[in-house]
Amino acid sequence: MLETDLKLIKNESEKDMAAVKTTADLDNIFNKYLGSQGQIKQLFKEMKDLPEDKRKEIGVNINGLQKKIIDLIDSKKKELLTGHLAKTMEAEAETLSFDLPKIGHLHPITQTIRMLNKVFIEMGYSIVDGPEIETNEYNFTRLNVPADHPAMDMQDTIYIKEPNLLLRTQTSSVESRIMAGNKPPMKFVCPGRVYRNEKVNKSNHFVFHHYQGAAILEKVSLKDLFGTLDLLFKRMYGSKVIVRYRNKYYPEVEPGVGADMQCFNCKGRGRSDPDGSSDPMGCPLCKGVGWIEMGGAGIIHPNVMKMAGIDSKKFMGFAFGLGLDRWVMAKYNITDIRTLLGGNLAYKYYENENSF
Amino acid sequence: MKILYSQLKQLVPGLKATPKQIGEKFTMAGLMLDESRRVKFNDKNDWLLSFEVRQNRADCLSVLGLAREAAGYYGLVCKLPLNKLAIPAKKGSGVKVEALKHVKRALAFEITGVKNKKSSAWLKEFLALYDINSVNLLVDLSNYIMILTGYPSHLLDKDKMKGKLCWAVNQDFKEFITLDKTKVRLPGKEIILKDDKTILGLAGIVGGKAAEIDLNSQNIIVEMAIYDRVSIRKDSRSLKIVTEASLRLEKDLSPEGLDLAMNLLISLILKETGGKIETRPFSFYPVKQPSLKIKLDSRLISVFAGVDISQNKAVSILKDLRFRVSKSGQSLEVAPPLDRMDIGIYEDVIEEVIRVFGFEKIPSNQAPAFAVAKQMTSTTIRFSEKARDILAIIGFDEILSWPLTKKEINSETNYLNWDNVSTQNSVNEEFPDLRQSIAPSLLFQFKEYKKRNIGKIKLFEIGRVFGKKGSNYLEQESLGILIESGKAILELKKAVEILLLSLGFNEISYLPSIIKPKIANPFSCWDIQVRGETIGIIYKIHKSLSFAEINISKTSNLAKGFTLNPVVELIHKLVILDANVELNDSKDVGPFLKNLQKEIGRNLWSLELIDTFSLKDKTRYTIKASYVGLSDKEAKKMHSKVFNL
Repeated sequence: MLETDLKLIKNESEKDMAAVKTTADLDNIFNKYLGSQGQIKQLFKEMKDLPEDKRKEIGVNINGLQKKIIDLIDSKKKELLTGHLAKTMEAEAETLSFDLPKIGHLHPITQTIRMLNKVFIEMGYSIVDGPEIETNEYNFTRLNVPADHPAMDMQDTIYIKEPNLLLRTQTSSVESRIMAGNKPPMKFVCPGRVYRNEKVNKSNHFVFHHYQGAAILEKVSLKDLFGTLDLLFKRMYGSKVIVRYRNKYYPEVEPGVGADMQCFNCKGRGRSDPDGSSDPMGCPLCKGVGWIEMGGAGIIHPNVMKMAGIDSKKFMGFAFGLGLDRWVMAKYNITDIRTLLGGNLAYKYYENENSF
Repeated sequence: MKILYSQLKQLVPGLKATPKQIGEKFTMAGLMLDESRRVKFNDKNDWLLSFEVRQNRADCLSVLGLAREAAGYYGLVCKLPLNKLAIPAKKGSGVKVEALKHVKRALAFEITGVKNKKSSAWLKEFLALYDINSVNLLVDLSNYIMILTGYPSHLLDKDKMKGKLCWAVNQDFKEFITLDKTKVRLPGKEIILKDDKTILGLAGIVGGKAAEIDLNSQNIIVEMAIYDRVSIRKDSRSLKIVTEASLRLEKDLSPEGLDLAMNLLISLILKETGGKIETRPFSFYPVKQPSLKIKLDSRLISVFAGVDISQNKAVSILKDLRFRVSKSGQSLEVAPPLDRMDIGIYEDVIEEVIRVFGFEKIPSNQAPAFAVAKQMTSTTIRFSEKARDILAIIGFDEILSWPLTKKEINSETNYLNWDNVSTQNSVNEEFPDLRQSIAPSLLFQFKEYKKRNIGKIKLFEIGRVFGKKGSNYLEQESLGILIESGKAILELKKAVEILLLSLGFNEISYLPSIIKPKIANPFSCWDIQVRGETIGIIYKIHKSLSFAEINISKTSNLAKGFTLNPVVELIHKLVILDANVELNDSKDVGPFLKNLQKEIGRNLWSLELIDTFSLKDKTRYTIKASYVGLSDKEAKKMHSKVFNL
């Protein structure tokens, strides 16, 4: 009888559900009761032969049992999957090691050059470079340095075993090449390595780094030059930095400018303390001057323009040059210039400069 | 150059500025104050101001020069102590000039009957301020005038001389003894003072013992000369003798100033030591210093400055600086004072106006808005910067080093077909040659780190290496990478590949090196190639140390531009299929894989070599090919085609 069959199927399905261990078991139960040949489907078929009033009552009961079995299968499936997932996850679990990866670092000179480059790139300058083995012509002559200038002495310049070839003493040699090879308007900076015949000691080296640049346009002035340098110093040292520009002689510019920054150690006093008791010889950073020389600049000399093939009646330019190594040493608390070029410059494995 | 504040005030009547104010004004106007200190001079409190004199201002290597500057800055007049000398008509005969090309002007006086003695206290004290020792009155007066006017002079005892005083080019003398008894070897061709028999001095540099002035000297010759400054500089440097005289005479001093300086010296000698001038002075001045006239549009001054400086202001400044000025509308014609040898073009005149007007009056808080200029940043620079970032991210530290080494080290590490480049005058005689590879630098740093117990050594440097081919000097920007690790060569290879892939190169291959550096393990040494071009080398040095070098200059030129190729919109899932391929042992799998890449083209996601198996005379490679943008069927079809299945 259908009611009896319903009861039997209900009891059996409950027993079967209690014995389920895997999702495969559940699939079997589904097929047994709810599949196209399943027992619930059979009951629906047998129900056809019943009178209408009985059909309705039995139909509700069969639907109810079907829904119950479906719900049971679903909840058991969830239970099985969660349990299986937990077991799998436990088996696949890894512990964290306490080993941090070593990070790499860029050299302080590279970092400083990048900071300076950033300022100039924002102003539309290009970054350029040139040969380190240079000729007398580009290193001296085209920069208005006369043939008998002291800088050309063997005492000051390192020469290659070849007449008129030397290791460049300033990156202005790049400036003279760029000016000769291009037409205005031009704005560029040329950071790079330079060489002078200097005895190597704590504060001097024969290899050091310059940061030079120039802008050749229809019209430039000292005001433009000072504004450019001020922007640079403020970006490097903060908006409160005090800079002065004074007249200074360089063969490649006229008028020539020396740029000094007020000593941040003694605030321009020339002594670290008001009464001078701690440094009777004067502030150790600025040697008592109150100012630190940052570099030179000026309006490009007409001879330099002429040798580059640029008409100084139509175009003007300014140029500037900064020595990088002392900046870098001051910034990174490096006391010996030799450190910058290897040996005892090292980096902490797990710390970064946070320069982004 | 130093100057006493009291002397400055004496020479510039009306000067009211304090020493501090003078120091600041000079500094801003181009002569930086080096030092200012309290001193006692002539029993009075005073200040000694010391200024850094620029190379092109020989006129300021004197008290008078500095006084003229001060007068110019403050709109005052410098009072010059001129005297009248009685010059006899009789011609002297004791002097001649043979070094015609080297002497621009020479003056010489003969004075008879002087009474030399020790100098008075004030003179000794004065000279001591300038670190000059007192010798005797005549010599001290000569030094005093040099300090006062900037013009060195030389006094000779005529009674010790044999024949005429002569300026000559040295042909005969091999040796010279200076006033302080130093023996100097003379190679020849120096500019000298001599008589008929002896060398008396190195012209413009130092006098000799032969005609030395002493307390018994009675008849003297006083000479002053201006030389071709290059000759003085050359002699001074080659003989390694630098004196107060040579420091002045190797710069551009005006020949016209000799008159005032000689006038002052002779007056003082006659006043302090007695004596008479019996003959006309000798004068050699073949080419008189021309008086310059420079034309200038006065509006240019404001253009150069960037602020308005009126023509009237400019003219006033120039006149205070002793320029003669005439105006015609906007045009000025200026004649600089003869002692200003540094003024030659209108830009020099503009600088004079602006520096006295005051650089500090030009605002500096306005960054200019310039026209757009062509972008010139080279690929090599962009490339190097990106390479630095990539290497730092994967754990490498950047070092910088010096490029001098020695031939022996170069021969150990060189891997390129070029010769050694040497310097003539290296700072360190042990290292006279330019490096041909970055390897020595990184190896040196490695050793230094090991000494200091630094571990986890992964280093790189980007710098120049140098070589020579025939008469051509070559240099290239090179990247060297060094790693210490148990699996150094594989880690290094991975780093190189991450770098090259990130820089846009995916056709990377390795061939056994043609030139193997001596420090390399010859069985573990490969040339690195991209797109069939050799760009570098990678090799094992020892068990846990490996090195690679890449020619950045060359590689950056091979780089293609920005590409959109790596970006893919996935329509189908990737289809991953394997295939076995057998190649003869003589054939490298690299080119085979390259061909596959070409054949498959845009639909290739990746090719991986997942297994190799050695057979007799052949090797079986199992290759996993992943296809993108194709259905299963399409991928299988392509796979069968390319692998010949």
